[in-house]
Amino acid sequence: MAETRTMTPKERVLKLFAGEKVDRPPCFSGMGNATTDGLQRLGYKFAALHSNAKMMADVAAATYKLTGFECGVVPFDLCVEAEALGCEINVYAHLDDILYPTIKKKIIHNEEEMGISIPRDFTRRGRIPLVKEAIGLLKADIGNDVAVGTYVLGPFTLAGQIMELNDLLKLSFKKPEKVGNLLDILADAIVLCAREFEEAGADYITVREMGATSDVLSPRVFKNLILPYLKKIFSQLRTNTVLHICGKTNDIAPFMVESGASAISVDQKNDVAETRKKIDKALLFGNYDPYNVLVAGSEANVRQVIRKCLDDGVDAVWPGCDIWPTVPVENIKAMMDEVYNYRRPVPNKEEIKK
Amino acid sequence: MITDEKRQELLDRLRNSVIQYDEDGAKEASNEVVELGMDANDAIFNGLVSGMEEVGRLFEAQEYFVPELLMSADALYAGLDILKPHVKQLDLGVKGSVVIGTVEGDVHDIGKNIVKMMFDVAGFTVYDLGRDVPLDKFVEEQLKTDSDLVCLSAMMTTTMVGMKKVIDDLRAKNPNVKIMIGGAPVSSDIAGKWGADGYAKDANNALKDAINMVSSLKKMKEEAEARKKG
Repeated sequence: MAETRTMTPKERVLKLFAGEKVDRPPCFSGMGNATTDGLQRLGYKFAALHSNAKMMADVAAATYKLTGFECGVVPFDLCVEAEALGCEINVYAHLDDILYPTIKKKIIHNEEEMGISIPRDFTRRGRIPLVKEAIGLLKADIGNDVAVGTYVLGPFTLAGQIMELNDLLKLSFKKPEKVGNLLDILADAIVLCAREFEEAGADYITVREMGATSDVLSPRVFKNLILPYLKKIFSQLRTNTVLHICGKTNDIAPFMVESGASAISVDQKNDVAETRKKIDKALLFGNYDPYNVLVAGSEANVRQVIRKCLDDGVDAVWPGCDIWPTVPVENIKAMMDEVYNYRRPVPNKEEIKK
Repeated sequence: MITDEKRQELLDRLRNSVIQYDEDGAKEASNEVVELGMDANDAIFNGLVSGMEEVGRLFEAQEYFVPELLMSADALYAGLDILKPHVKQLDLGVKGSVVIGTVEGDVHDIGKNIVKMMFDVAGFTVYDLGRDVPLDKFVEEQLKTDSDLVCLSAMMTTTMVGMKKVIDDLRAKNPNVKIMIGGAPVSSDIAGKWGADGYAKDANNALKDAINMVSSLKKMKEEAEARKKG
């Protein structure tokens, strides 16, 4: 059954962020969602998107146009800030396969080099202007219908890109004050970058701090070492914000809310029903597995998982990571259909009494 | 010969150095092992590896996290570097060589390095291709070194799909090679579907799997020794 409601996807997302009542949870994402279908129709190669604002915007818009997925998000890689700070990246232009860009050359090679400073022309370096341009193009294309989003990295994840992750993790334990200083500088850089994206008209910005997952770091280290700098970032952003962390997040979900983000985003490893109890009415986005379910799963499997997300109490149906481009368009459509037609189970009398 | 008491003291010190990620302690105890002419194999397996097993348990209990794991690994290597030249090689009846690396597009190598460490400890010859390794390189290296085992690691969903290609290629060229895949997005489902022989879903599981492998190797070693004596 097609959508019968009258609220536009954009109104719905903006109202949700504003804390107003929405007619149903939106189905969108703050992370990349290029599809090979979109790429093929446009005749673009994935590796070429990262350095071309128009191609970036076209592919982002194609997902909405092809499937009704309720947003447009650029960019598609995670190297924008690191590159502007001076790292060299690899976009794998020589390959036809889809590979996401990675950092080839870091800027911090040892502990002594951790006292970096932000380049004076930081926001004009690397691809920050290009992403800004892509946001503008995307707004012009589909910005009346759907919310346009973008993302930046969290300070710890960014630190893990510009220096050896191995060293960063050990120093987080051995010399937390040194790591704290670096995170403080990176938080400033992230704010500068995010401000540019706000200026371009992004309706929401996701801060991706996946390096700080409880699969890697203890909740204690997250609270003491990383949370203060996330707070610093969110206190300075004006638009709607989402804090995304993948992997184990059940123990840190309350800290994620404390960061000051408008909403928090978790992946399939989070027990959302449990988290809901801990964080009360704070906005919670999640938490389907974007590869094993949306790409590799059957349509029935997709429907079942999406129903579970909604039963568990997510405020928006939202993936646990970037959506892998080979996603079958039918699966996205099945997901959208499930969201359109979902009715929250009527609580029985016992539950109402509580 | 050293006394049982002294042997136990050194084993405890090695074990605790690893658990408490004390590199200097591991070095001191290892040097003493060498000076006193204690069996290096004994020191490695019943000291260092025993400590790493406890670290694995602490990790699983979420008392330890990845930083602690990495620091414990440093302590283990500090000891291993001193002890390894003194290991008497036994004929184990297996070649014991492994090709290991993180697939192209992925620059995360912590899980891979932990697995590698356990192979190092077990006396395997390790051909470490590093990270962001072009897919063809795995096949090429396996054929070149005739290794028994190939371990592929991917930390991200977005790079995991490359592993299927490597598995298919390896199987086509050498049906007998054992293939293990690992990394956060990998599931037993995927390992099965793609025809891998084993999988490890995270650093802890990788560590456990590797420890299991080392343990079975240890058993083989003991059997070999028993045969020799008998």
